[in-house]
Amino acid sequence: MTGVGRSRSIWWWITVTVVGLMVAPVVFDHDSHPLSTYPMYSGARGREVTIPSALGLTDQGTEQRLSLGVIGASSDPLIVAGELRTAIREGRAPERCAEIAGRIDDPSIEAVAVVMERHDVVAQVEGDPSLLERTVLATCPTERR
Amino acid sequence: MRSSVLAATAPPERLAAFRAALGVFALSYLILRAPVLLQLRDRTAGGFAGVGVLAWLDEPIDDRLVTGLVIVAIVAGVGFTVGAWFRVAGPAFALSTLVLTTYRSSWGQLLHFENLMVLHLLIVAFAASADAWSIDARRAVRRSTDRDYTSPLRLSCIVVVVAYVIAGIAKLRYGGTEWIVGDTLRNHIAYSAARLDLLGGTPSPLARPVVDQAWMLSPMAAASVAIELSAPLALLGGWWRNGWVIAAWVMHVAIAALMLVTFPYPLFLVAFLPFFELERVVPALARTRLLG
Repeated sequence: MTGVGRSRSIWWWITVTVVGLMVAPVVFDHDSHPLSTYPMYSGARGREVTIPSALGLTDQGTEQRLSLGVIGASSDPLIVAGELRTAIREGRAPERCAEIAGRIDDPSIEAVAVVMERHDVVAQVEGDPSLLERTVLATCPTERR
Repeated sequence: MRSSVLAATAPPERLAAFRAALGVFALSYLILRAPVLLQLRDRTAGGFAGVGVLAWLDEPIDDRLVTGLVIVAIVAGVGFTVGAWFRVAGPAFALSTLVLTTYRSSWGQLLHFENLMVLHLLIVAFAASADAWSIDARRAVRRSTDRDYTSPLRLSCIVVVVAYVIAGIAKLRYGGTEWIVGDTLRNHIAYSAARLDLLGGTPSPLARPVVDQAWMLSPMAAASVAIELSAPLALLGGWWRNGWVIAAWVMHVAIAALMLVTFPYPLFLVAFLPFFELERVVPALARTRLLG
């Protein structure tokens, strides 16, 4: 077998292996990196959705939406929402609350609340009242309090 | 079929051109993401759960190792891109990028848009990708004649096709036909916008008009599943390939415009480059520049 022939034979086996590895997560329904089931936005979704978030509680008794950077130290909503959801699922809401509170630099905000909010997302996008339910999972004071 | 991607024979310049383009993209991506990667050093161990090649890790790696990996990846990335000391720089770049992206995904959110880039890096890094248009090639006394430049490109194409087909299957598997004929796509677009709004971001200005015109979303959903499942057509080459690549790119543009969810690797077309005769592009560009 020539050098090219041997090389092609090796690459043929590599190709079979790589395709097998890529299909394996689908067979076992196990998402990972970089071998994936590519499940993002693939599930059926109703218009009522529970979304994790964090609120600033001001000294005036009002609520204030926080930025992506404050909530998750990232500008990527996928990362911020995904990591916050994971933290809540694993019972680390108080820990995450303290991290968020540490990033607040608005002196009018005296506390942070990590929440799960159920919204009618279509109504939310259309600017109509959308909040159906809110569960507060942790509250913590800011460092400026 | 002569134009078939599977039957075509590639010269070393085609693989080299893909190496250079992939290197520029991946290195730029890594440099832009470096602050995010370095910030992982400040995280508490609570949110960490190893995935992929790091699934065996129970706790975060040493901060100095994270810093070292970022430096190694960037330095090796330069070598990968210009084809210098490629036998070392290529695998070092691919493996360090694999570890860094896997490490970031081990903090609670898998970033699927990195998958194809990492798989392509691994393929190109372990192929003879610096036998042309590289510093190594300039230094070499003679080029080896028994190298295979076709198979790595063919595998890169197959990886793209398999990834898109899996994404199409996922929609039917997890969402069922409801994903196509129901309100699922409208709700996904509304969810993306609402999530951004609730997390302090700015939703796409197109989200509301499109959600208001829900009748157009069922054909769009059917089209996106059809595009993903028809990815193997790109392997036929010629107009089949061109048509599919354009359709896939338009789909990513639409996703970015409506949901502000960006897949930079296909959006910048780098994911689709191995389907094309790249070696023709550089001389053509040079001629255009000379004539211009």
